[in-house]
Amino acid sequence: MIDTLLLWLFAGTALVAAAAMLVLRHPMRVALALAATMLALAGVYALLGVHAIAIFQVLIYVGAVMVFMVYAIMLLDVRDRSFTRRFSWLLVPGVVVAVAFLAVLAHGVWQVLPEPAASTAGARFGIQTFSLEFLNEYWLHFELVSVLLVAAVVAALAVLEVGRRDRG
Amino acid sequence: MLIGLSAAIFALGLLGVIVRRNVLVMLMCMELMLNGVNLSLVTFAQQTATAAGAVLVFLVFVVATAEIAIAIPIVLLLVKRKNVLDLDAYTDLKG
Amino acid sequence: MSHLPTAIVLLPFAGFLLNGLAGNRLGPRFVSLVGCGLPIAAFVLAVLGVLDTRAAGWTPRIDDVYSWLVAGDNRFDVAFYLDRLSAVMVLIVTGVGSLIHLYSTGYMKGDKSYARYFAYLNLFLFFMLLLVLGRSMLVLFVGWEGVGLASYLLIGFWFEDPDKARAGKKAFITNRIGDAGFLLGMFVLYEAFGTLDMDRINVAFLAGAPGVSATLVGILLFIGASGKSAQIPLHVWLPDAMAGPTPVSALIHAATMVTAGVYLVARMSGIYVNAPEASALIAAIGAATAFFAATIAVVQTDIKKVLAYSTISQLGFMFVAAGVGAYGVAVFHLYTHAFFKACLFLGAGSVIHAMSGEQDIRKMGGLARKIPVTFATFVVATAAIAGIPPLAGFFSKDEILWFAFGSSRGGSGLLYATMATTALMTSFYMFRLVWLTFFGRSRMTAEVEHHVHESPLSMTSVLVVLALLSAIGGFLSIPHFLEPQLALPEIVPALEHYETPLLIASIALAFAGLAGAAYVYGGAGGRAERLAARFATLHRVLSGKYYVDEAYEALIGRPLLWISDRVFLRIGDRALFDGTLHGFAALGRSAAAGFARIQNGSLHVYALLVLIGIVASISFAWRHA
Repeated sequence: MIDTLLLWLFAGTALVAAAAMLVLRHPMRVALALAATMLALAGVYALLGVHAIAIFQVLIYVGAVMVFMVYAIMLLDVRDRSFTRRFSWLLVPGVVVAVAFLAVLAHGVWQVLPEPAASTAGARFGIQTFSLEFLNEYWLHFELVSVLLVAAVVAALAVLEVGRRDRG
Repeated sequence: MLIGLSAAIFALGLLGVIVRRNVLVMLMCMELMLNGVNLSLVTFAQQTATAAGAVLVFLVFVVATAEIAIAIPIVLLLVKRKNVLDLDAYTDLKG
Repeated sequence: MSHLPTAIVLLPFAGFLLNGLAGNRLGPRFVSLVGCGLPIAAFVLAVLGVLDTRAAGWTPRIDDVYSWLVAGDNRFDVAFYLDRLSAVMVLIVTGVGSLIHLYSTGYMKGDKSYARYFAYLNLFLFFMLLLVLGRSMLVLFVGWEGVGLASYLLIGFWFEDPDKARAGKKAFITNRIGDAGFLLGMFVLYEAFGTLDMDRINVAFLAGAPGVSATLVGILLFIGASGKSAQIPLHVWLPDAMAGPTPVSALIHAATMVTAGVYLVARMSGIYVNAPEASALIAAIGAATAFFAATIAVVQTDIKKVLAYSTISQLGFMFVAAGVGAYGVAVFHLYTHAFFKACLFLGAGSVIHAMSGEQDIRKMGGLARKIPVTFATFVVATAAIAGIPPLAGFFSKDEILWFAFGSSRGGSGLLYATMATTALMTSFYMFRLVWLTFFGRSRMTAEVEHHVHESPLSMTSVLVVLALLSAIGGFLSIPHFLEPQLALPEIVPALEHYETPLLIASIALAFAGLAGAAYVYGGAGGRAERLAARFATLHRVLSGKYYVDEAYEALIGRPLLWISDRVFLRIGDRALFDGTLHGFAALGRSAAAGFARIQNGSLHVYALLVLIGIVASISFAWRHA
């Protein structure tokens, strides 16, 4: 009972914060709204029983990605043209098509899928279960992802032109 | 319900990319899209009791991180060049 | 033996191939040997063939070579036909042709394109033999076109001079206009009879009621003949054709090619016998051409141009004879004309050779003693053309005048009067030519006079032979020989007793011309100049050749050019075709430019398009799943 209530609470927070992201003017506030969304989603994950993922959501997404985002926002002067005029000229067409999109999805989902109970009953993935599953069945993906990270590091270094001398 | 929520979050993210002018805000909206997808993956994993969904979510985390690690420096360098955060300034690849 | 005609035809063709392909490498001696030897061999074979046919009682001998084209029910064969008429023609072509080839070895000696000259000359002979020996009109037409081609190649032989090249083009194009008529005539005939074999067509016409208008076919074929034989209005190419080497003028534009039209009319006599209107037209045009060409020849100053207009005039005589039904007489005049005209042209060539290239008779004079052989042969040939008895021209011309007067198929006093006046003028201008060229005081420049010399033996021997033939050739009565095949028309009974008076009149005319020329051009004073001054306007019109060329240029040439430029080039080609193509290209370009506007560099637009695409794909998939 309380689980369902909390679930609705977290879901609602996520939705509201996501909507707020589109409307807020200052990018810093948008970042904070995004962080709120992510935290709410972490809560949802936890309520669903997938604790490992919930933890990782907070650690990686909020802790690393959003911090980096905030760092970038702080580096740049944000009060320029895009501050006064938030929306592009495609506002109306965009909204229309997005609504159409949602309608089509909703129609499809409720046609095709049986209404899943937003219940907290179901499998629970603890860290142990998760790790075992991961490294037993999906070790190849693990390795590939490591390679991706190395590539990302190299790319970041290249973008910043680390180690190149005499560049004014 | 959670599927609907994930669809809504995804749509809001894509809408944000279309309507907002600030490049940083657009990047954050792309992150929002990824989150929406994560939610749907988790929901399905939990309901069908397969671990694949959870694993995929983890992989999405990693990919998102790598992506943001590159995207932000690129945006920083671009903005340093033009000193404008408005996307309308970055239309050099037209025609 | 049965393939003798094929051998006759192919020998010159072999000469063309040998001289054309290997002549330059093998040297002038080889070229002369092959170039003269093969036509002489063809002449020998022709003689053998004629004797053979005579032994067989003059039944026409037919040599089927091969089947050229079979298309459904239509069949076109290549076959050769040797009867009395083709016998006369083939002997003239190969005989006079061989003589002219011999003459050319002397005249063209040292020319840098010696091998090409003989190759073309042999090619011409090949086509001419196809023309006279062909059984079907199609084979004749191949020969017809081929001699036109050879004529073009030889007129424009020294093609580096653009005037000469233009003369060749003019000849070919004028011929082609006539050929349109010829082709139409062939189409009508084939449609009516299903065959183009001339002997069969003649038989069908003579048997009566052929189902096709003989007048129509007659006129169409005559249009072709007038193109080839330089009758009005297609006569304009012959004077210009004098740009070619003189032996070419002798062979092609005097003895053989221009007579192809006369041969055609004579060969298709079956049609013309049944087409009185067409025959009347032929006689009228022949007479008009003869008269007008003679008037122009009186004032010409280039030795070859005089002879060219003389040829046109004599061809008119031949067509008059054909027009009144005396086909055998026309062929007789063709035969004698071949001898004396060839002799005259070659003599002119000898004079030009002696004068180091000078052709203007106003700059000649007093050559008689300097080049005696040329002089003697030239005089003999002139007497022949003037009609002085007992030379060859007298016999043939007198017969023509007689039939022009008294033939029951179109003879009339007016026709006779025209032709008699023309005969008088012929005698006059030919002797004028002799006087201005050979007699009187020399009007040559000192340099030219110093180099005057008689021509080599290769040239003079031919002149002598031809002069001899001009003298005695008339005694062989060709009309009588051809009569079994080409019947002579009836003489109107009321006029029969005029025969002897007219004979005397012909002789009188010939001598009158001689006397007139001697009076005007001989002697000391400038009688010719005074005469020209008194009739100045007439003189100018005649010298300008009645301004026919200018009229053609203004009435036909320029409008055609205007239409080609304004209508076809600017409107048709540039605006329509190029415009359409450019239009398509521009359309593509503008469409592409329109599509390229999607790529405007704005991520917002791209994202929106992605979203629209997703919506579309999902709804499509889920609707049709």
